[in-house]
Amino acid sequence: MVANIKDKAVIVGVHNTKFSKDSGVSELSLAAQAVKGAIDDAGLKPSDIDGFATFTMDSNDEIEVARAVGCGDLTFWGRSHYGGGAATGSLHQAVMAVATGMAECVAVYRALNGRSGQRFSSGVSGEIMTADAIHWGWYMPYGLLTPASWVAMFNQRWMHLTGVTKDAMFEVAHSTREYAINNPNAFFHGRSFDRAEYDASRMIADPLQLFDCCQESDGASCVIVTTPERARDLKQPGVAVRGVAQAAAPDQEQMTSFYREEFAAIPEMEIAAKNCFEMSGLSVDDIDAAVIYDAFSPIVLWQLEAWGFCGFGESGDFVLDGALRPGGRLPTNTHGGQLSEAYIHGVNGIVEATRLVRGQSRNQPEKDINHALVTSGVGIPTGGALLGKLDY
Amino acid sequence: MSDYKTLSLADVSVGDQLPKLDIDITSGLIVAGALATRDYEPVHHDKSVAQAAGLPDVFMNILTSQGIMSRFVTDWSGPEAVIKSLDVKLGAPNVPGMVMTVTGEVTACDEKTGLVDVAVTGENNIWGMHMQGGVQIALPVEG
Amino acid sequence: MGHQEEALHMTPEEQKVFEDKLYAYVGVEVCSRKPAKDAVNETMIRHWTEVMGDTNPAYTDPEWAAQSRRGKTIAPPAMMYVWNQEGYSVASSGRASDPQTEMAEMLNDHGFTGVLGTNVKQEYVKEISPGDTVYVQMVIDNISERKVTARGPGYFFETLATFSDQNGDTIGVQRFRVLKFIPQEQPAASASDDKLQVPTRIASPRGHDNGWWWNAVDEGKVLIQRCKGCQTLRHPPRPMCGECQSMEWDSIESTLDGEIMSFTALRHPKIPGYPADPICAVIKLGEGTNIVSNIVGCDFDDIAIGMKVKGKVEQVDEKTMLPQFYPA
Repeated sequence: MVANIKDKAVIVGVHNTKFSKDSGVSELSLAAQAVKGAIDDAGLKPSDIDGFATFTMDSNDEIEVARAVGCGDLTFWGRSHYGGGAATGSLHQAVMAVATGMAECVAVYRALNGRSGQRFSSGVSGEIMTADAIHWGWYMPYGLLTPASWVAMFNQRWMHLTGVTKDAMFEVAHSTREYAINNPNAFFHGRSFDRAEYDASRMIADPLQLFDCCQESDGASCVIVTTPERARDLKQPGVAVRGVAQAAAPDQEQMTSFYREEFAAIPEMEIAAKNCFEMSGLSVDDIDAAVIYDAFSPIVLWQLEAWGFCGFGESGDFVLDGALRPGGRLPTNTHGGQLSEAYIHGVNGIVEATRLVRGQSRNQPEKDINHALVTSGVGIPTGGALLGKLDY
Repeated sequence: MSDYKTLSLADVSVGDQLPKLDIDITSGLIVAGALATRDYEPVHHDKSVAQAAGLPDVFMNILTSQGIMSRFVTDWSGPEAVIKSLDVKLGAPNVPGMVMTVTGEVTACDEKTGLVDVAVTGENNIWGMHMQGGVQIALPVEG
Repeated sequence: MGHQEEALHMTPEEQKVFEDKLYAYVGVEVCSRKPAKDAVNETMIRHWTEVMGDTNPAYTDPEWAAQSRRGKTIAPPAMMYVWNQEGYSVASSGRASDPQTEMAEMLNDHGFTGVLGTNVKQEYVKEISPGDTVYVQMVIDNISERKVTARGPGYFFETLATFSDQNGDTIGVQRFRVLKFIPQEQPAASASDDKLQVPTRIASPRGHDNGWWWNAVDEGKVLIQRCKGCQTLRHPPRPMCGECQSMEWDSIESTLDGEIMSFTALRHPKIPGYPADPICAVIKLGEGTNIVSNIVGCDFDDIAIGMKVKGKVEQVDEKTMLPQFYPA
C-alpha cells in the first residue's frame, strides 16, 4: 500500500540561526530563534503554530519552545528517534499531522550546542540511557564507541568490495568546501581547501581522517509545514512534500548493523527511496539536486547508490565525473553540507533543499530545480523526502 | 671504556626510526624524578594531594618527561651530539602501574648545518599520549 | 562551585573588566635575573642521570669527556630549569608569591581553578659545565583570548624564561604554556571511589537478555545463543527467535575460529582505560554468527579483510575479561 500524502503538506518557512563553535546561549534560545525566524520567513504569526516535531535527542520541550516564541494552542507534537535518522523523520511527523488535519502549521526544529556542549565525537559511555546501554555494551568494551569508528567499520568493507578509493571521499568533502566558500553561515566560508590539507589531516578511525568528518556545531534550524491551501496565501513560494518515508530493515541496529549477511549496505535507505518514489510518482531522473546527509564523506557515496543515481560500487566514478558540482548531474549539499556548513543533524539540509526548490540557494544551480531530494542519517533507521514546487 | 659511538650526519636519513624504549612507571620513578629535578610540588610525591586533584596517584612531573625525551634521543645519537632544542607537548599523566612506550622518527636532516630533527612520542598503555614533541640535535658532519 | 557559576555567567562588561586586569600581566617580570643557589655540580647531575636512566658519558664520565670534542663534562641541557628551582619550601610552606602566582590567584577567584601545562619548549644556545652558575629571568610573555577547550573555558598564558651564566652569556630560553580553565563537572563515576583506580574499559551493563553472555566471558567462554525450537544461532542475544518466535533457548560455546569481515582502529579521541589506537573488527565465527572484538598481536598494517583469526578470552585490565582475536 502506498501512503496517500503527496502534496498534502507544504514547507512555507525556513530558518537557520547563526552556526558557531560556541553559541554562548542555551539550546532553548537557539530553538526559539530558529522557530521565530522560520515563522517570519513564512509570513506567519507565532499564534499560527499549533504543532511541533523534533528529535527524541533534542533537549528542548515543545511547550518550552512554544512559551518562548509565544505560540497559542497546540494540538500536535511528535518526536522521531535514532539521532540523525530523525531529520526527515521529524518532517514525516509534521506532514502526517498536517495531511490528517491534526494540526495546521507544524514547526520542525532541531537545536543543539553540539560543539560547546555535549559532543558526539566523544563517543558513547557507560552513562547513557539504560535501553541503549545494553546495545552499546557489545561495542564499548572494545573501544568501538564513536560515530566515526562505526562508520569506518562499514566503509572499510564497502571500499574493499567496491574498489572505491579515497579520491571519491575527497571529492565529496571538496565539493562541499567549494559550496561553503559562498555561504557566510558556513564554518568553511571563504576558506580554501586542497588535497594536501586533506591528506595531512589526522586519522580519526581508519580510513576516516579529520576532513571526512562533519563540523560539530552549535546552532538550530527550523522548517514550517502547512496545508497547500494556506501555503498559497503566504509570502514565499511553497515547496510541496511529494513524498516522505521512514525505514528500518531486518536486523537493524543503531549504527552497528554488523550481523547482516552482507553488512556493507544500507537496505533501510533503499526502502525509503522506493517508498518515496512510489508515493510521489517520481523517478530518479526527475531529481535535479540533492541534500544528502553527510556526517561523514563516504556515506554520501553509499546513498547515491541506494537512491539509484548509480549502481553498487559506481558512486566513486559518479562523483569523480563532477556530478555533485554546480553544473553536474546532481548538485549536492549546495550549502556546504554538514561537512562544511554545520552539523545541525540534517535539519539545515531540509532548509537548503527547500531553498533549492524556491530558487534561493547561495549556490543556486543554473538549471531549473523542480525536485530536490533530502535524506537523513545513515547506519540507523532513516528516511528521506522529495520536495517539489507547489502548484498554484 | 670510551667505546661510545656517535652518529654522523651520513648515518642518518629522514624516516629513520629510533629504537623503541619502554619505561615502567613506578612511584619510585615519579618521586625520584621529582626530587632529582628539585620539583617539590606535592602532587608529585604525595598521593593524597594527587587524589584531591582528581588523579588516581602521584604523577610524573614535566622535568622528568623532558629528561626521558632527552635521554631517548641521545641514547640513539651518541654522546657527541649537541641538543639544540626540546619541544614537548604534554598529554595524559603518567601514573604508577603504567608502561610508557617512547618512539621516535627522523623528520629532517640539514646537510649543511648537521641539524637533525627527531619527532618523539611517549604513549602510556592506559591513557595514551603522554608527551609528543620534537628534539633538535646537531650531529658531527664528517669530512 | 559559586566561582564557576560566576565566571560562566560573566556579562560581556564584567568579562571586559576582568580581562583588562588579566592582560595587564602581559610583559610583567615574574623574577628579575638571579643566580641559582647551587653552582652546576657533578652530584646533582649524577642524581639526575640515575633516575632518567641516562648513561651519556658527556655528563658523568670525566675521562671520556677529556678526550671528546668538548674536552670536559657538561650538564644535561634538559636540566636547564632544574638549577633555579625553589626547593623543598614549595612542599613545606608553599610557592612564594610573585606576579605569576598573583595572576593565578586572580584567575582562581574567577572560577578558572584548573591548571594544565600544555607545552614547554627549551632552546639551548650554550652548553654548561660543573662550576658554572645559572641565572634566570622570567616574564609573562603572552595571554590568549578566552578559549573553549576540551577541559573547559579558559586562558592560555606563556612564560618566557631566559637563562644565562656568570659571564652573562645566554645558555638558553624556555617557553612554558599553561592553560587556566574552569573545570567541567566530572561524571558521577569519578566522584566516587572509582577515581582511586586506574581507569578500565567501559563495561557493558548486564541485564536479563545479555547478562548470562558476559558472565560466561568472565569464566573464559564465548557462547552463542541457540533457539531450542529451530536451532538457529543468534548474536547478540535476544529474548525471542526471529525465525520461529520460540522463547526457549540454550547456547553453544564458540571455538573462536573466525575470519575478519571488516576492521578499523580508533585513533582519536584517546579514551581513558583503553590501549592506544585499539583495533576493532567484525569477525565471522566458524559457527556462522558475527561478533565485534579486538584484533591484537599484530600491526594494523598487517590486517586484511578475509584474514583468519583465532580468539581467546583474556583479562585485558584490572576489571575486564574480553574475547581478543589473534592472527590464526
